[in-house]
Amino acid sequence: MTTITPTTSHSAQRLPARTTSLSFGGVLRSEWIKLRSLRSTVWSYLILVVLALGMALVMSLSYLSGGTDAAGLSKEAQADLIVQGSTFGAYIGQLVVAVLGVLVITGEYSTGMIRSTLGAVPTRLPALAAKAVALFAVTFVVGAVSTVGAFFVTSAVFSDTGVTANLLDPDVILPLLGAGLYLALVALFALGVGTILRSSAGGIATVVGVLLVLPLVLQMIPAEWVQDVLPYVLPNAGYSLFADTSAAADAVPFWENLLIVLGWVGASVAGAAMLLVKRDA
Amino acid sequence: MWAAAGIRSVEDMITAEGLTKRYGAKTAVDHIDFTVQPGQVTGFLGPNGAGKSTTMRMIVGLDRPSDGRVTVNGGRYAQHRAPLHEVGALLDAKAMHTGRSAYNHLLAMAATHGIDARRVHEVIELTGLGSVAGKRVGGFSLGMGQRLGIAAAMLGDPATLILDEPVNGLDPEGVLWVRQFVRQLAAEGRTVFLSSHLMSEMAQTADHLIVLGRGQIVADAPIADIIAGGTRSRVRVRTPHSSQLADLLARPDVTIMRSEAGVLEITGIEASGIGDLAAEHRLAIHELTPQIASLEEAYMALTADAVEYRTEAIR
Repeated sequence: MTTITPTTSHSAQRLPARTTSLSFGGVLRSEWIKLRSLRSTVWSYLILVVLALGMALVMSLSYLSGGTDAAGLSKEAQADLIVQGSTFGAYIGQLVVAVLGVLVITGEYSTGMIRSTLGAVPTRLPALAAKAVALFAVTFVVGAVSTVGAFFVTSAVFSDTGVTANLLDPDVILPLLGAGLYLALVALFALGVGTILRSSAGGIATVVGVLLVLPLVLQMIPAEWVQDVLPYVLPNAGYSLFADTSAAADAVPFWENLLIVLGWVGASVAGAAMLLVKRDA
Repeated sequence: MWAAAGIRSVEDMITAEGLTKRYGAKTAVDHIDFTVQPGQVTGFLGPNGAGKSTTMRMIVGLDRPSDGRVTVNGGRYAQHRAPLHEVGALLDAKAMHTGRSAYNHLLAMAATHGIDARRVHEVIELTGLGSVAGKRVGGFSLGMGQRLGIAAAMLGDPATLILDEPVNGLDPEGVLWVRQFVRQLAAEGRTVFLSSHLMSEMAQTADHLIVLGRGQIVADAPIADIIAGGTRSRVRVRTPHSSQLADLLARPDVTIMRSEAGVLEITGIEASGIGDLAAEHRLAIHELTPQIASLEEAYMALTADAVEYRTEAIR
């Protein structure tokens, strides 16, 4: 079947000129190839899009069937209504990108791929950085495209009632992009947790715990300091990147919420970087 | 336990100095020094748990040495600008994602170093994976996984190759293929460092052997020397007067075993000595054959201590 064809190999003319070398651009391209060449990744992103469009449709239809007179709303309230419908998918979509973010790295540990990855990039940190950049960029683009798609779905459902919104209105486009940003940051947070724990089950459980269980449990504790902590929990701060919370009495400005979310992501990724360099692969 | 003598060039070789790996209280690799020379196949032998894989993992920076250092082609693996061009490593036939196709696995590995798709196709042809390159790795047999691992190791056309158990899981044809392949790589002037637990395979592939036992180097010598020096030669004698001959030969330094009726396996005295003794006492001899020690026996003798130690440890 296969035999070595003795090529004209003599020491004199053996190795061809090796002009290429390891570069961050190359590692980034490698991580992009890895991301797109796994069915599970492609499926996760498809589910994210379907969720965003589907939830937008369900939300706006159920609002209409409620019989509320939407046409009487102010311009701002109309835009707000459409944004709410368009970004509703992100509440469930965050679980999809959380699982994806964990699996991007734990899948390498469970299959042994990590040894090939770190063999090719022995300084290690560029591999994690490239993974983070690729995951963030793709998740942000897919997330934002899906919320913009959901905007058109919602607008179409509401078109008969006279409720409209302009996509390019900052009050509309910013929350739509904000939902994409939140999803991308959740994916990064999950990547960090996955790298720290190196276990798919443990990583997914931890991230889902932070996103869903932690805010619920804290809410049930009556102590005042616990209530003070609530706005600093990852999803609570994150939701205000796309959902209007300015009506709440103790509203935190957008930038502060973004900083809180970045703090969670930073802690997770920094811990991951530290352990990745320190541990044996 | 002596360092390999020979020409020392900084280029294209692996050098370990005081290399050590400890896991808690257990020392897996204990201050070993060795040099793997270019242009030949260096075999790496040792019982399970002797520290072979750990040593190989430290060479490519997957494990961090607890002490000492190991360099490849003049520098630490991680310090090279293009590690894949310096060293190709097959450390584990399963170091790949099961959900990805062989082609995409190689393409992603190649991309890190800016190696183009043409080279990916070349290594696929080189390892005979052409018909399965588009298939997902999860469905691969162990042998196909080994071929893919070798293909990945060859991506950077490296001057040094490190192969951990490359024939594991291969059918006889695949074993032959790997043997010819590594021989050719060495003939091209590359450094080849190969571990295997198949002694017979090593005897046919390697030029030089480094034997590891209990984390220490037990032998580091050309393969012919190890085979010759590893065991005392044994002589097989077939004679109708076996008990008489055995009595004549009885000396403290001579071991005599009766393998079947009329056949003696004698260690500790040369064939000529036995023949002379028999002639002196007018005993007929039907067969007098010096038994050539095999690498397997030499290896067993060298690592006996390490193996016994392990058995005790289990108890």
